[in-house]
Amino acid sequence: MKFRKLTLTSLLFLFVTIAAHAQTLQVAVAANLQSVIKVLQADFKKKTGIDIQPIIGSSGNLVNQIKNGAPFDVFLSADISFPESLYKAGFSMDEPVVYTWGNLVVCSDQKIDLKNWQNLLQKGKVKKIAIANPAIAPYGKAAEEALIKTGIMNKVKPKLVYGESIAQVNTYITTGVVTVGFTSQSFIKDADKNVKLYWAPVDAGLYTAVQQGMVILKHGKETNFEQAQKFYKYILSPAAKAIFTEYGYHVQ
Amino acid sequence: MDWSPIWLTLRLAIITTSILFAIGLPIAYWLSKGRSLAKIVIEAIITMPLVLPPSVLGFYLLIAFSPQHGIGLWLQQHFNIQFVFSFQGLVLASVIYSMPFMIGPIKSALQQLPVSLAQASYTLGKTEWQTFIKVLLPNIRASLLTAIVLTFAHTLGEFGVVLMIGGNIPHVTRVASIAIYDSVENMDYATANAYSLCLFVVTFIIVIAVFIFNKRTAKIPLE
Repeated sequence: MKFRKLTLTSLLFLFVTIAAHAQTLQVAVAANLQSVIKVLQADFKKKTGIDIQPIIGSSGNLVNQIKNGAPFDVFLSADISFPESLYKAGFSMDEPVVYTWGNLVVCSDQKIDLKNWQNLLQKGKVKKIAIANPAIAPYGKAAEEALIKTGIMNKVKPKLVYGESIAQVNTYITTGVVTVGFTSQSFIKDADKNVKLYWAPVDAGLYTAVQQGMVILKHGKETNFEQAQKFYKYILSPAAKAIFTEYGYHVQ
Repeated sequence: MDWSPIWLTLRLAIITTSILFAIGLPIAYWLSKGRSLAKIVIEAIITMPLVLPPSVLGFYLLIAFSPQHGIGLWLQQHFNIQFVFSFQGLVLASVIYSMPFMIGPIKSALQQLPVSLAQASYTLGKTEWQTFIKVLLPNIRASLLTAIVLTFAHTLGEFGVVLMIGGNIPHVTRVASIAIYDSVENMDYATANAYSLCLFVVTFIIVIAVFIFNKRTAKIPLE
């Protein structure tokens, strides 16, 4: 008898967890959103009661996982070409929509004045400079573009180290293993609680604006469509835009 | 195709294996003789990389060698050495990380030799050094080869630590495993396949060579 009771309880538990799982929306999130997504997640939960499970990674890595069958419902990318490639390959029903524009900043955990960073980066006291891998991370590409446009790329190239995503660049900055790093402005606000960072914006004319695109994925359409749609609408709503702005993104 | 990640990987593996062979022999010999608390503790520390995730080592190296404070700052100021984002950093990490693969097989082979072997040599008037070089080592040739090959192969396959402290710098720290990871992320499967195939073939040749060689001397190939 006791055994049967136990089985029943565990079965019940199983059902509850399955039900809870169905409620949770799996959202693939580009690494530059790692701080703002927590705020969006809490706000969305408050407004709709729906839980989301963010899976954070570099956009390239996430796209690979999606193409190989990862069960994600919505994808918030760091650029527009990755979600476009998903749309073209049939992994999403609709074309991507731009939900925000990201700003590039140059940042350090050491007390240095970064206003004139073009000159500073060439000086000897700047040992290592972190950028995200330009081949796979949009903010890395933007950083590379800015370095080329200012004409200092050849001089600073020996100092460059490459993070596999913007999140690793952030780690390199906060642990002080690099003197400066190029990251997204959203990182500054989140890191503020733990470490004092010194930073300056990179002039918008020096790099192509980082358009960040979003799509509902095939998996989301098939299994979680109603919630996925709610989240999609929420990300484009004024409430979410206010949060994005607060974290240093552009919205229109 | 850019071959530099393959050469870099081979260079790292050769240097790491040479260093480990040089420091591994005396350590293994010392560990194989008798037991004491110090030996148990040191052997445990040497063996730990076998079971610890590479990210643990990567994390501690990242913190320890940050040029902002502690050892990292000291090294930077006195010797102008930076271990993070440099080839010597990868060598250091690989030496720590592959150490059990070098010391383990040599130590157990030395322990399994009959004590009378060394004693006979001493009785005939040979010193401990002469005995070690001329009597003990030739008798554990198969295990020496196994240790060298395992260390080499393990260093070829290193990924986690390099990902954390390497910084993915072309020609400096972008080893083959990292280049594969990059190409896959970039959806460049052709390049990923080229590098992967290289590692696959090299590893296969090495392992099969050991199997053939050891078949004559050992009962099981990886003894």
